[in-house]
Amino acid sequence: MTFLSALLAAEPAHEAAKAATHAAPAAAESHGPVGDIITLFGSFGVDGPHLLVQLINFAILAFILHRFAIKPALGQMEERNRLIEKGLADAQAATQRLAEAQKASEAKLNAASDEAAKILADARNSAKAAVEAAKAEASAAQAEVVAKAKAAIEADRVKMLAEVRGEVSRLVVETAAKVLEQQLDDATRGRLNEAAVKQLAR
Amino acid sequence: MSAASVRAEAKRLLALSLEGGAVSSDRVGAVLAALAKSRSAHQLRPLLRAYLVNVRRELARGEARIEHAGPLAQSDADAIAAHFTKALGRPVRPVARRNDALLAGFRVRVADDVTDLSAALRLANLAKSLS
Repeated sequence: MTFLSALLAAEPAHEAAKAATHAAPAAAESHGPVGDIITLFGSFGVDGPHLLVQLINFAILAFILHRFAIKPALGQMEERNRLIEKGLADAQAATQRLAEAQKASEAKLNAASDEAAKILADARNSAKAAVEAAKAEASAAQAEVVAKAKAAIEADRVKMLAEVRGEVSRLVVETAAKVLEQQLDDATRGRLNEAAVKQLAR
Repeated sequence: MSAASVRAEAKRLLALSLEGGAVSSDRVGAVLAALAKSRSAHQLRPLLRAYLVNVRRELARGEARIEHAGPLAQSDADAIAAHFTKALGRPVRPVARRNDALLAGFRVRVADDVTDLSAALRLANLAKSLS
């Protein structure tokens, strides 16, 4: 559209520029400082109608650009910015969740470590108690065995003494019997029999 | 016959065999003759066995079996029998037998009662007290 406007306005603008160039000194001469400015713009090829057309063209171009290029581009940029911000927010949230997860896992790890330490301590205490109980039981069993052995030894000793005493007594009695059998004659036995009869009679 | 009835019958026969509290050979002969007539051999065997046991026991009750070491005068044996006759309340006669294993003294057995006044018993008691 700008190009079409430029074609339509090219010839009149060129003539207008020439007229302006020639008319500028006259205008300057006739309108004072404003005329001087117009004359100056005219010396640069700027004239009013041409400028107006250009402004209209520019406005149309700006509107079209704004409507079909800039606005969609801005929308896309805004959408992209939104997506980026969302991504950043998600990343931040993910980072935060990661940190929280790490913190939670660390807490769980600490708790597990504490629990493991407690279990280990309990196990050690249990093992120590079991060892102590086993020691006590072993000591009791040992004492019982020693006591039984002492009792058995004492019983054997008493039994042996009794056997020895019985054997000695048996030997003494057997010896006495043999001596008596050899030493007692019938006369003595007769007297002993009479004494026994008297004892029975009493 | 059951064992209990045999024992009861033997006890009754023993009572019939006593005369003056002692076993009489005449009465025993009469009892045996009567049994031989009245009972069969099959019934007689256990009854006679029980009767024999009772007669032996009764004869033992009337004997003082004296075991003595060395000589024992007949007067001493009679004195021992007189002692048991008086103590038991029935006539007891002495039956002496020498046994030098008693070392000295004597041992008297009347039925199931034993009286031991021997040196062997005293030595045995001594050995028992020492052991």
